[in-house]
Amino acid sequence: MIEVLAILFLAPIFSSIPIAIAWGIEPRPRWAEKLSYLSVFGLFLSLLASLYLLIYLGELSPEAKPIKYTIEWIPALNINFVFIFDYLSRIMGVLTALIAFLIGVYGLEYMRNDYRLGWYWFFFNLFTASMLLTVYSDNMLLLFIGWEGLGLASWGLIGHWFRDDDELSYVGNVGRKIWKLNMFWTPSFAGWRAISTIRIGDMPMFFAIAAFFVLTGTLNISEIDWHGLEGKVGTVGIVILITAFSMGLFAKSAQLPFSDWLMTAMTGPTTVSALLHSATMVAAGTYIFMRLSWYIEPWKFHGHGYEYVYILVLFLGLASALYGALVAAGCLERKVLLAASTMSSLGLMFASTATCYWVGKIGILVGFWYLVTHAFAKATLFLVAGHLIHETHDRFCVGDFEVAKHLKLAFIATVAATLSLSGIPPLTAYWVKSGMDGVMHALEHELGYLPLVLLILTSMVYSGFLAKFLSLNFIKGKHVHIHPHGGKLMEISYTAMFLMLFLLLAIYITSYEKPFKEFHHEGFLPSSIAVGILVLAAYIFALYKPQIKSKVGEFLGDRMYLPFLNDLIVAKFGWVLSTLSDYGNRFIDFMCHKAVPKLFEIYSNGTRMIQSGNINTYIKIAVAFVFIVVLIAAGW
Amino acid sequence: MNVLIELAIFIPLIVTFLLPALREKAATALSTTSFLIPMVLSLYSLLKLQSYNVSLFDFGPPIGEFYILVDPVSNAFGFTICLVSAMVAAYSLPYMRHRFVEMLHHKEIENSEKEFKKYWFLYNFYAVSMLLLVYSGNFLLLYIFLEISLLTSFLLIYLYGYGNRQWVGILYFVWTHIAGVLALLGFLILAFESQTLAIKDLRAVSFVAWLLIFLGMIVKLPGLGAHMWLPWAHAEAPTPVSALLSPIMVGLAGYILFRVYMIDSSFVLDFKNLILAYGIATSIYAGLSVLKQTDYKRLLAYSTVSQMGYMLIALCLGAAGLAGLIVQYMSHAFGKSILFMTAGAIIATFNLRDIKKMGGMHEHIPTIANAALIGFMTLSGILTIGMFGEFLILAGVAKVYGFDLSVVLAVVVVFIISGFYSFYTMKVIYYGRPAKYEKPKFSRLLDAPLYVIAFFSVIFIFPPLATALINGLDFALGGELVKIIKEVLGGVRP
Repeated sequence: MIEVLAILFLAPIFSSIPIAIAWGIEPRPRWAEKLSYLSVFGLFLSLLASLYLLIYLGELSPEAKPIKYTIEWIPALNINFVFIFDYLSRIMGVLTALIAFLIGVYGLEYMRNDYRLGWYWFFFNLFTASMLLTVYSDNMLLLFIGWEGLGLASWGLIGHWFRDDDELSYVGNVGRKIWKLNMFWTPSFAGWRAISTIRIGDMPMFFAIAAFFVLTGTLNISEIDWHGLEGKVGTVGIVILITAFSMGLFAKSAQLPFSDWLMTAMTGPTTVSALLHSATMVAAGTYIFMRLSWYIEPWKFHGHGYEYVYILVLFLGLASALYGALVAAGCLERKVLLAASTMSSLGLMFASTATCYWVGKIGILVGFWYLVTHAFAKATLFLVAGHLIHETHDRFCVGDFEVAKHLKLAFIATVAATLSLSGIPPLTAYWVKSGMDGVMHALEHELGYLPLVLLILTSMVYSGFLAKFLSLNFIKGKHVHIHPHGGKLMEISYTAMFLMLFLLLAIYITSYEKPFKEFHHEGFLPSSIAVGILVLAAYIFALYKPQIKSKVGEFLGDRMYLPFLNDLIVAKFGWVLSTLSDYGNRFIDFMCHKAVPKLFEIYSNGTRMIQSGNINTYIKIAVAFVFIVVLIAAGW
Repeated sequence: MNVLIELAIFIPLIVTFLLPALREKAATALSTTSFLIPMVLSLYSLLKLQSYNVSLFDFGPPIGEFYILVDPVSNAFGFTICLVSAMVAAYSLPYMRHRFVEMLHHKEIENSEKEFKKYWFLYNFYAVSMLLLVYSGNFLLLYIFLEISLLTSFLLIYLYGYGNRQWVGILYFVWTHIAGVLALLGFLILAFESQTLAIKDLRAVSFVAWLLIFLGMIVKLPGLGAHMWLPWAHAEAPTPVSALLSPIMVGLAGYILFRVYMIDSSFVLDFKNLILAYGIATSIYAGLSVLKQTDYKRLLAYSTVSQMGYMLIALCLGAAGLAGLIVQYMSHAFGKSILFMTAGAIIATFNLRDIKKMGGMHEHIPTIANAALIGFMTLSGILTIGMFGEFLILAGVAKVYGFDLSVVLAVVVVFIISGFYSFYTMKVIYYGRPAKYEKPKFSRLLDAPLYVIAFFSVIFIFPPLATALINGLDFALGGELVKIIKEVLGGVRP
């Protein structure tokens, strides 16, 4: 087992070290470009290891007992490398490794002429290893190592083109300004935005981890007595702890109000957007929430503290989902549109997982299979977007039927992915979305119809902007001339990616295991079919009318002015505080190093003045002194 | 195998007196080696959980026994000091060459060979005095080494510093001696009360003695209000000296507080809330100040003040906090020494300190930029030993203050700010549109030593080093660390 784990986590890292060193020592060494293949080979080995864990570790079912493997770390404190292989982690691991490998292959062509291949591959592979560590670890401190690795890799890759010299890598309309705020972002700035936002979530999360440790004596998610914990710390304690922990998840998964970093994260290479900022890394937040819920099993004991948290997560998820969908609907940048849609999907994953408090494990399974479906579909769309940006040299949605004719595979992939992801019957996401309708509907007694209404609304807008993406890039967009050259590896990669959607569809339809039989049941309900038809209608409408120019659209495209929170309110507040501290420093400096020495100087000069040897002065001083004494005595 | 760490720590001391006789390259090699030997041995001793005393001589009351104190805490500090000193020694060669050329040019010195001899003597004496300090088993002995380190570092600043170096040197001298004298007074009171200053024989520390030592250490650490000497001294010192001053020396105040705490914790326990609030205020205030700096070295100096606030915070947080204090010392030492050396590398290659004139420096000096990244990762506790420091401090908060939201939020804000200024600085200096400079050629000694420290910073989160370090700290704390989880697990060992 230890060999498999070593390959799983270390192969990606070690295989990328040669290229990192080669490019670190020498700028753009041509001979070292071939080392990219070694990095991808490392990803491949990792994929094999994850497949082994999927296939050879016994039965794969939601009810199977998790298998754990422990390596000693700090046994005295009961903190060890504990890896867990259960339904969630085994599938998620393969998903991560497979998508990473496919995008790695795509990257071989996409990044061929890049000026920073060492950096790129090192962080790309570091990301893969960190993500796998996050996925498979049961110990929260170990998980947090992976978690920080994700944040770091994300920062490194967002700011990959650190020179800020290519407007093709910017986000926003260059030169556009609203009030005092520049509405465009450079890669180096976007990197800083990402890591600072994530940090705001990570530190409360880290506190929660430390508190779990002190309170329960263990850090293994599957071993903590979550029910007993509520008895120990009370309702308020649980709300504080789980909310603090979830802050990290919300920040990483770009939920409100932390979402804006994800939009500007699109300054990174498209491969990075596809892998990190859509398919896997941002999904880590939702994934950890699923894993936590899987072992908390809140549906079994209905703790009050947990109820508050799950309501919070449910509505935060739904609000973020709607916000993301609306922003995507107003957005005209290829990648930013997809980023906003990713945020929307992540919100749906959070929301459906949160329903588990009322509906049981099925809520988590719905969220999880939506994650899987979304990962393949969104990665396909991102990879197509990258190919389009390469061919058209434009990051905004442009292109008409000529593009579709020249890039047939890209067109087919986009059609397949958008149709599959929208939830149009009977394609892939329809079955999961039906499950989602079902779990939201089940909340009717506790929370009314609001969750279901929000879900349906989001689904319709979602399907609309997916159709808009298709239409504006391949059918009704501005005419552009393109002369495709090469692109074979890229095409292979996204073709494989969207074919996975059909594989998933086959599984959904043919399997009779949990949760698929629930999906079937929900999918054949008239209400689900009705929602499916609404979604289809929105899709068709947007296909014909992809763009409606209006003030509302502009407001949505400006992300409802949320950047003001990041770049103006918080930034100015910090600026004022640090200016104050600067004044404080100057004051202390002046007092200690100027004023006090000066006082000594004055005193010394005064004393020296007196010691002049002039008898006249001495007499004057003596007289003055006597005079003062007399005055004081008189006053007395 | 009995490790002779108690002998090895005297190797650099002997070497100190040989160095002036050697040429600069030989001196560099010898100085580096002289610290590498005790480094390896202290690490081995740490791994083996060794703990013993070696008596030197007994003065009788009121001074008591002078002895060498070997325990996991001394070894953790000793290892850190040796590692950083060895790497900075190697780094000194190209840097001081540059500095002496500059000083020759300004006619501030006459002969760089002669200056090198002086430099090596002072440098080694300075570094070894700090090493011996952490192995001193008697507060008087400890004070003597403290005094040596102050004098030598003062001379280094006074002779080879930048800017208004004489003024800065005297400023440094006065402030550190305020700290030193306060501590000495505390030690003297302690001596007359207990009739000994041997750490193993001391049982209680009276309020006045504690207060004086604490105030002295507040100036040395430094805490908010008494901190203004530090940005001056650390920014204007020659960079190799800054790379010892900031990472190693100020944190020794934390070491002294730790030792006194282990004898008698009453003072800290009585004023827990006050000290914690002061530590938090120091850290947040200095962290915010970092963002306003335009001089790279001054920026790093403010970050040191902020990190020293962690130490005060950790001091109030029980066993987990104390372990956090030591890990924090190590992580800050690793991170900050790397960062000061990156600042120095930019000075040595571009003669540049003003951040406003930097930007996109990764383009010109990628190896330095990547080292700086690891340095800042260490400060903000990402994938490095700093992560353990943060974890232990947060565990201490949860243990001692529970869900007291004001404390939790304040400590969380402290950590957030560290991350903020770290990556903000990275962006401002190393990324963005590259400033127009020629890509320089520079000595490997300006970047390779940084990666050695970075290597240790990363591997300290994995076994066997992490295991040994935490076990050692638990051992030094008398099993208090493990007790935290024993309590909740009902005495059943996992």
